[in-house]
Amino acid sequence: MADKQLQSSVAAAVFQKQWFAELRRRVFDERRPYALLQADVPFELFDLLDIPAVSNQWWSSLIAAKRQAPQFLDAMAADGLSDQLCRYCSLGLATTRYPTVGEAPWGGLPTPRLLCARLTCDCIHRVFSLWAEAFGAELFEIDHPGASELPPRWWELGRHRWRELVEPHRLAFVAATLERLVERLEAISGRTLDRAALRERLERVNRQEEIFDAARQLIASAPEVPVRMTEQIANVMATQWVRGTDWALAHAQNFYDEIRLRVDAGKAACPGERARLMWVGAGLWHDTDFYTEFEASHGAVFVWSMYLAFGPDGYIRYGIDDPIEALASRTASFNEYLHNPPWAAEWIVEQAREHRIDAALVLHPKSMKPSATGRRFIERALEEAGIPVLPIEADVVDARAWNPAATRAAVRDFLDTRVLA
Amino acid sequence: MSTTALAELTADFEQPFEALGRDAVQDQSTVVISWPSVPIEIIRAAGFRPVLARGLPLPTPAADAVLEPGLFPSRLRQLVEAALTGRLKNIAALIVPRTSDSDYKCFLYLREFERLGDVRLPPVLLFDLLQSAGPEVPAYDRARTAALRERLSALAGRQISHDDLAVEIAATNAARAAARRLGALRRGEPRVTGSEAFPLLAAFWQCAPERYAALAAAAVDAFAARSPLTGPRVLLVGAPVDGTGLHRAIGSKGGTVSAESSAFTSAGAGEDVSAAVDPITALADKYRRDSITARLPVAVLERRIEDAVAAVDAVAVSLPPDDASFGFDYPRLCEFAARRSIPHAVLKGEPALPATAADLERIATLLAGVVDRREARVG
Ligand code: SF4
Ligand code: SF4
Repeated sequence: MADKQLQSSVAAAVFQKQWFAELRRRVFDERRPYALLQADVPFELFDLLDIPAVSNQWWSSLIAAKRQAPQFLDAMAADGLSDQLCRYCSLGLATTRYPTVGEAPWGGLPTPRLLCARLTCDCIHRVFSLWAEAFGAELFEIDHPGASELPPRWWELGRHRWRELVEPHRLAFVAATLERLVERLEAISGRTLDRAALRERLERVNRQEEIFDAARQLIASAPEVPVRMTEQIANVMATQWVRGTDWALAHAQNFYDEIRLRVDAGKAACPGERARLMWVGAGLWHDTDFYTEFEASHGAVFVWSMYLAFGPDGYIRYGIDDPIEALASRTASFNEYLHNPPWAAEWIVEQAREHRIDAALVLHPKSMKPSATGRRFIERALEEAGIPVLPIEADVVDARAWNPAATRAAVRDFLDTRVLA
Repeated sequence: MSTTALAELTADFEQPFEALGRDAVQDQSTVVISWPSVPIEIIRAAGFRPVLARGLPLPTPAADAVLEPGLFPSRLRQLVEAALTGRLKNIAALIVPRTSDSDYKCFLYLREFERLGDVRLPPVLLFDLLQSAGPEVPAYDRARTAALRERLSALAGRQISHDDLAVEIAATNAARAAARRLGALRRGEPRVTGSEAFPLLAAFWQCAPERYAALAAAAVDAFAARSPLTGPRVLLVGAPVDGTGLHRAIGSKGGTVSAESSAFTSAGAGEDVSAAVDPITALADKYRRDSITARLPVAVLERRIEDAVAAVDAVAVSLPPDDASFGFDYPRLCEFAARRSIPHAVLKGEPALPATAADLERIATLLAGVVDRREARVG
């Protein structure tokens, strides 16, 4: 693995490990509750009611990064869960269902008090029902009403005019569901949600995302990219799950300061960069070395992924008179922002222009069906904007069918023939 | 009369989707829907006739160029093909229910093709009927159903009243009752094969209700005189089917599908739309509860399967390549079948295409197991 260029990246990794150890201690020693959540659930509600929350996708990425996924995935297949089913959100289930076949990271997940998922993809209800059953824990579902109105430039509307971004019936539905979630969490924690504290937390989340926004601007405008995409992701992920907390704000600031120093000192992630690349899709968690692979050979450096950019564009909500509604407006359309026409393509092209992207690698996740949709619109929009596209067929957590050598060769060929020619 | 009834109902199921684009006048009064989870009572009350998209063994070159492979079932590929080749240009509207993620994405795609100027389409509407168990869901569904009525009223150029709906509900309930009688002939000792029964039951969605009630009654009379079928009875579960490909494959090996998990044939299994509450609430409740879709809660689906499994000899689980969800039910289905000592097999082919050799082999092995068990019992 490439050496970390930022101190913040080291600090983020240390924090996550300690945080998880503390979670296990609380659950095992103090019998305190925790929750297991899909990444797009409002974590703030849980934290404010003193129910720490683990993100399922983060957990999956960790299993994959520790190279433990194949054993669990083989066990799923042997159990009749065919390989065509999406693995990203079900790999964690496999660590619970087949605990002996592999080694779950950091001692494994303790039994949560509650699981909570938005029903975006059809599989989620089933995966989380099975998982809740395996844990003997409660499941809270947030249904995902479909959008019919998708106004242009969602990332601009979302900041101040977020009520216009989500159709009123969708907003009301998600807000009502979140109110019910709050009731459930209050019952579990024995505490009452302080609405003023929630508003304050969302304002702190805004501040955190403003810092990330400034970091993004630095990255986009510096003559050469100052920080690798993998390190952007590591820092953003560590903060997003505890967003708005003291640690998260301080860490975001450190991250920004370090980038600022690097830019001022003219330090680049890949000095002499010749091609600025964008990664479209979830991260290739089982092979993150892939992202630094073309620096030495081609001066090709990954500049952009959705992770840093989506923080400011997806999370900032100003004018929080009703914090639950503000949360609902953020929650209602994650999937549409990131994957679906017209929103995903429009945003990604805008990001590509802002970051002076020379070429895009677009993940074609074989089994992740809903997140695989919309790819062709994104590719078409990028190509029409003059940005060559290379589709990459891969599963983000399942390395079994991944051919690292062949994919790297394809990327080198793409760089030689379409990007640097 | 009876053979005519069978032929007419089968044609009412098979033909309308393929016929789109041939008769502009007929198309103008047509509303196409992507899955039978849209209240046809409202469509009819607006003066339109519902036509359902269906999976077909026909090539879809235009759709293949724009849809990612492996993500959309045949019926949606066919629907997009029809849209892109101009076959939908005269229809009154296309309604895509929130039946699965693929349907929802198909809705967003179609709107995008139009926005990008690739094609001109009739109004494309999302019917966002949610099916999860949350207490907010019924009110949401009621409002979406009311909104559908408003959109269709606007397209029809006249307001659909509660009375209009009550009339359609009564007529459609009568058709449901006829479908139930027909469906009863598949249970116990079936008198009708799965591949015969499926189109007859599925015709419910596209056939005018009075006509359906009469033709289904005639079909019942015809079948009642038949002697019972003796082959193994198979329950077809997994991803809901929209055609008879798997029924025929199972039939070719001597079995018969005596029940399947499919919204196309569930009309006869479900209850009537209630006349006790206002029509919009009644329709929203009925379609949320009874539409078999990828979004129906597993517990509800399992109860239905449990009811059906009592009267079968084997279970076939269809998990085609585009399935992203029903496959997660498989371990539970296995346990469930094992508890009842019922053999099962997974079929992996695309049901709209002719059965693969591997699937035919799996079916043969499954049915041979049933025959052996029967013989062992007799011996
Ligand atoms: S399809 Fe989407 S939500 Fe479903 S398991 Fe995959 S990534 Fe997760
Ligand atoms: S489908 Fe997309 S938005 Fe949903 S969980 Fe998977 S990666 Fe995230």
